[in-house]
Amino acid sequence: MITNLVTIAEQVGAPRIVPGRGIPYPSGDPNVPPSAEQSWRRRLVQRALDAVATAVERPTIFEVGDVEEAHA
Amino acid sequence: MPVLRRMVHEVRSMEIGAATRYEQHQLVVGREQAQALFADPALAAVRVHVAAPGDPTRIIAPLDVVEPRSKGPGGGVFPGWMAPVNRPRGGDTHVLRGAAVLAAGYLPRNQEGLIDMSGPAAERSPFGRTNNVVIEFDRADGASWQEAEVALRRGLLRLAVHLADAAVDAPPDVVEELAAPHRPGMSTGGLPRVGAITNLQTQGAFKDVFVYGRSMAGSLPTLFDPVEIEDGAVVSGQYGHPALRNPTYIHQNNPVVAELRARDGQDLCFAGVVLCPEPVEQADKELVSTHAAWLCRAAGFDAAIVTKEGAGNADNDLMLKVDALEADGLTAVALYAELSGADGTGPPLVAGPRRGAVVSTGNYDQRVKLPAVERALGGTRLNIADAEATAAVDVPTAAILGALSPLGAGWLTCRSEQQQLAGQKLGGAA
Amino acid sequence: MRIVHYVNQFYAGLGGEAEAGIGPRALEGTVGPGRLLSQLLGDEHEIVVTLVCGDDYAASNTAVAEELVGMAREAGAELLVAGPAFGSGRYGLVCARLVAAAEAAGLPALASMHPDNPGISDAGGAPVVAAGASSRQMRPTLQTVAAAIAKLATGANLTVADGRVARAARVGQLVDQRAAARAVELVLRRLAGDRESTEVPVGGFDVVTPSAPVDKLASATVALVTEGALVPAGNPDRLESARATRWLRYPIEGMDSLASGKWESVDGGFATTAANADPNRIVPLDTVRRLERDGVIGRLHNELLVTVGNGTQVASARRFGVEWAAELRKAGVQAAILTAT
Repeated sequence: MITNLVTIAEQVGAPRIVPGRGIPYPSGDPNVPPSAEQSWRRRLVQRALDAVATAVERPTIFEVGDVEEAHA
Repeated sequence: MPVLRRMVHEVRSMEIGAATRYEQHQLVVGREQAQALFADPALAAVRVHVAAPGDPTRIIAPLDVVEPRSKGPGGGVFPGWMAPVNRPRGGDTHVLRGAAVLAAGYLPRNQEGLIDMSGPAAERSPFGRTNNVVIEFDRADGASWQEAEVALRRGLLRLAVHLADAAVDAPPDVVEELAAPHRPGMSTGGLPRVGAITNLQTQGAFKDVFVYGRSMAGSLPTLFDPVEIEDGAVVSGQYGHPALRNPTYIHQNNPVVAELRARDGQDLCFAGVVLCPEPVEQADKELVSTHAAWLCRAAGFDAAIVTKEGAGNADNDLMLKVDALEADGLTAVALYAELSGADGTGPPLVAGPRRGAVVSTGNYDQRVKLPAVERALGGTRLNIADAEATAAVDVPTAAILGALSPLGAGWLTCRSEQQQLAGQKLGGAA
Repeated sequence: MRIVHYVNQFYAGLGGEAEAGIGPRALEGTVGPGRLLSQLLGDEHEIVVTLVCGDDYAASNTAVAEELVGMAREAGAELLVAGPAFGSGRYGLVCARLVAAAEAAGLPALASMHPDNPGISDAGGAPVVAAGASSRQMRPTLQTVAAAIAKLATGANLTVADGRVARAARVGQLVDQRAAARAVELVLRRLAGDRESTEVPVGGFDVVTPSAPVDKLASATVALVTEGALVPAGNPDRLESARATRWLRYPIEGMDSLASGKWESVDGGFATTAANADPNRIVPLDTVRRLERDGVIGRLHNELLVTVGNGTQVASARRFGVEWAAELRKAGVQAAILTAT
């Protein structure tokens, strides 16, 4: 589950949670240039895929790590 | 020493006439004077109506609601809109209690709701119990909806002041003296210091509340002068969930602050009010919640009553604040509406706090049957019920303006009851 | 009494998830848990036919309940018994729908499932008796079911004492004191040391059993689902902007991205400007399509499932979740990315 409202996601028991940057744009970020947004979305989705490939027992947050945005 | 005196004039009837005047509890609304206050390039026309409690009248698609208030010829109410902010605070404010002005009609981002002036919806809405001046409007060709909305908001504020101006020379029915909140360091006589945290919706166009004419989006929570709220420093431009809205009228009469004042000096010390935005990002929600808890402690609160505006997203703000307050050792109570389904059997809260306590303002989903009415204002159809505006309809409580008032202005609650076990007997089906 | 018993494909011994897509069928006599139930019932009542359907087939097709009721009638049922479904969401939903449909058609019915089963609210007024959380509680659960059947046969109503699940309903009412005044009362009570008082219970957390991790992403089918109300521009199917009663499906086969102007969010709960300027901010189709092309995932499922979360009842949301799971399993999907606003 990709959402900015992590506390609600935990409370309803969502097992795999990837935090997005804002409620109105779970899989984007209008506050950065388009190339940086594309890179963010790619990392976000990649993290969601990591999550579904990982065994969990309870609501678990999969933060998207910071990376050097080489050409951002 | 009072910091503000409310000069209360009790309005018991209202009619439209040639010129605005107030005497003997009766308010006459000058039609052309009222219309002139809405003169704006974004509005082609406005129509002025009145609707009184008990009338067989339905108001479709209500927008903002404002209580008529005035500080006399020098002005001073609605700072940031109709008065400078750096004017003297406090003094005397004339209040037309029992009267309200509101706009009604189609606005694209307004979630359609209703007010009935009689019947079960009237019992559930604070605005089914007031004498209402209702402004219908036509947007001008070429004007945007946003421009029309701004024009309506300014017009409502002007009209509210214009009507209250008529009572300035009349003897008040009641004079209410409001004291300043209790400050840290003052002796409490052993009473707990209790304050209010009033969350304001801050989600951009048509979903914003204004403080001194500005959006609070991006701000940190702030300790706020309750006298300024009385004088209209908080104005709504928020058109989400009708039952979960805090129109300007409700801020002017902040019910939590009013109830705290009612017990001030007897059971508690009124400690003040904190205004707080409802940000659109989790990290910002956590920031404002942490900061609000710190602010309450710094202001010497022992306890806080926390309120919101809006639905699930705003529930998250409540949850985070109550948890932050309780983690800091303060006692917290939050006001929530429940979402337990039409039959009330679903889980009541999406994002309830882990600690603290909750007051229920009613069930969003519960259906209410409304009888047919004789007259409708604001529209000819009620789209949420796909019916003629005057028809008998069955609507969720969510559609009745202010019925689930997040600031606690309503009379609904929910209680758990064992469901009726109405199962059939075998063979008794037919 | 002639009883027709409903079980899913697993309890019928026809197979696990791989067989969850099979359609309705009738088997003579008792099958699976029906054998023990039949023993517990003794000679007075007979399970004449066992109806079976795959969970995915039944949960994703609402007409199945009526079809099964018709089959029960053909078998001469005097009572339809469904389950026990324990905590299983799809099975519970089907059992609940089945007893609701049976009672609507005048056929007495009884279901059994755990009180927290997400399907339970679909039973409406039809009786449901409590089951344990898992099949480890099969015997005590079937004892409850058998006793309930015996009682129904006497013409009596089931009560809480019979294990009937009577969920407390939250009943709205008008009171004299407005909510703000009650909040002041409550805060004063708490300050005086009463830590229990509250008008709504607090602290509850839902528990969801996590699914097993996906083995090989590179060969997995991944679906995109959202509660952000993203629909084709103009909202042709009139999805609600709040308080959803249903969900919709939209084909995304061959689409590389969700184009601005072709898709919009109709969610009434947040400012939709950013979403409408680039709908991939609500559903990351552009990125997932690229990952499909790069071989990171096997395939992107060809439909987007959409509802609106704004003000939607929890019970409805749970039902959508169960239906989505059934739908996606049936389509061979191994993982879903849910974007939530």
